[in-house]
Amino acid sequence: MLSGLQNPRQAAAQLLNFGLILSTAFMMWKGLSVFADSPSPIVVVLSGSMEPAFQRGDLLFLWNRNILSETDVGEVVVYNVRDKEIPIVHRVVRKFGTGAHARLLTKGDNNAADDTELYARGQDYLERKDIIGSVFAYIPFVGYVTIMLSEHPWLKTVMLGIMGLLVVLQRE
Amino acid sequence: MAEQFLDQVRDAVDGQIVRDYPPTPLSIRRTTSSLTNYYLQDFEGQKLAEVLATVVLSIVGGISFLVGFFLQDIALALKIGLAGTALTFLLVVPPWPFFNRHPVKWLPVGGEPAITSTQQNIVIDEKLFTK
Amino acid sequence: MYNSLTRIQNVFGFFTTVAFVVAALIAASDFTAPRTPSATIKPTNVQVVKGRPHYYSTKKEEYAIIKFSLNADFSSLFTWNTKQLFVYVTAEWPAAPGAGNSANQTNKAVIWDSIITSPSADHLSNLGPASLKKLRKSAAGKTIDPSRGKLSLKNQKPKYQITHPSGKIASTDDVTLRVHYNVQPWVGVLTWNQDSDLGLWKKMADGVSAAFALPALKKKEGEKAR
Repeated sequence: MLSGLQNPRQAAAQLLNFGLILSTAFMMWKGLSVFADSPSPIVVVLSGSMEPAFQRGDLLFLWNRNILSETDVGEVVVYNVRDKEIPIVHRVVRKFGTGAHARLLTKGDNNAADDTELYARGQDYLERKDIIGSVFAYIPFVGYVTIMLSEHPWLKTVMLGIMGLLVVLQRE
Repeated sequence: MAEQFLDQVRDAVDGQIVRDYPPTPLSIRRTTSSLTNYYLQDFEGQKLAEVLATVVLSIVGGISFLVGFFLQDIALALKIGLAGTALTFLLVVPPWPFFNRHPVKWLPVGGEPAITSTQQNIVIDEKLFTK
Repeated sequence: MYNSLTRIQNVFGFFTTVAFVVAALIAASDFTAPRTPSATIKPTNVQVVKGRPHYYSTKKEEYAIIKFSLNADFSSLFTWNTKQLFVYVTAEWPAAPGAGNSANQTNKAVIWDSIITSPSADHLSNLGPASLKKLRKSAAGKTIDPSRGKLSLKNQKPKYQITHPSGKIASTDDVTLRVHYNVQPWVGVLTWNQDSDLGLWKKMADGVSAAFALPALKKKEGEKAR
């Protein structure tokens, strides 16, 4: 662990390697974002309003291009309420009109009422531009780590502690 | 005392695949220090552990898919996969004795017979010291 | 250094690889299962009443209440990778001719939906303990239960009363009911009913009602219509 200090070339190589990993991950994320035309092409489910289809921690892949057909009733979409940056994943249940200004209403499968209450004041319907993608693929559970870390900050301390312990207990 | 204890804990955590069975007395290990670990590697055993992990995990994955597909039971597939992975961890992670069948036979230092605890030969700048 | 930590890392790393490969195989196995969904639907009783969007609203809107009969066979959609089937019925109607929009402007609203879980997902469904016990008992010993995909509803009340943003829906012509489904997998792609055959997956047989007209407003105060 401390050998890097004695050998600056090795330390620099490690730093570069770390930077390479970070920039590769960032490029893949942004590449996927351009491909799917969505600011956030992979999302983690945070609420139970779409149960039993989606549980908290499930990973959703989004697609935001209307190549073959428009976003339609029955699709599960992720949208941002006007002026709020909280993405919500719900199902489109009503659609009035066609095109960019079609009026869309959403509802969570597990909720009794539709989303009118969730929308901004004076906003009765969503438009296509409020939607950041339709769910097209699904992997269960994989995103649960992020939920654990954000909801239980002490876990971060525990992880740091374990790392520190390993440094002490490991031989070079 | 604390140092010795820490050393023992380090050994348990390290779990190196080394020629160390039966364990050398602690007094000797203290004098030879952590360099011991480099002297006592079993490269065959390390390779075996790697191959074992790859093969067992692949077979578990295959079985899990086939059983799940033909019995149409995804919960069973998940259970087989997780149980098989736990088994792989158990098989590969602890330094089992069978990873230690081919210890590296180092040449005796300075052409003398192998190191013993009573007599050690140390080569420094091509001069031979005997303690 | 080849110690237990590196071995844990190695095993865990390869485990994630194997898990993703198996997950991809499971997702791909969906395409080996033929799908032959079929459904027939017809409206049985149609009413239009006046109501308020919510209790405190003073705005009056027209709401259509469409009762229907549905016979459907979705049993082929249940495989080991099916987590749930979401079945929904929409009412569709074109925009009013005088609205100034092009003729293909359509309106679409869900009037009824149903979540049909696979036995593997029963424990996740949002039911009371009694009905959950009953549901689990119905599939005891079965890993998949295609019989759940057979639906037979007679004169079913809609779950949602529908309206139009303009508040006017009475006397609308050319309304059709359509049955849809959405298969939610345990892992892989979500699928809806296709417009055409796709490999072993056939498009839904029928599933559309004949066009009908909504009646004129019925003189009756509909309480909290939503």
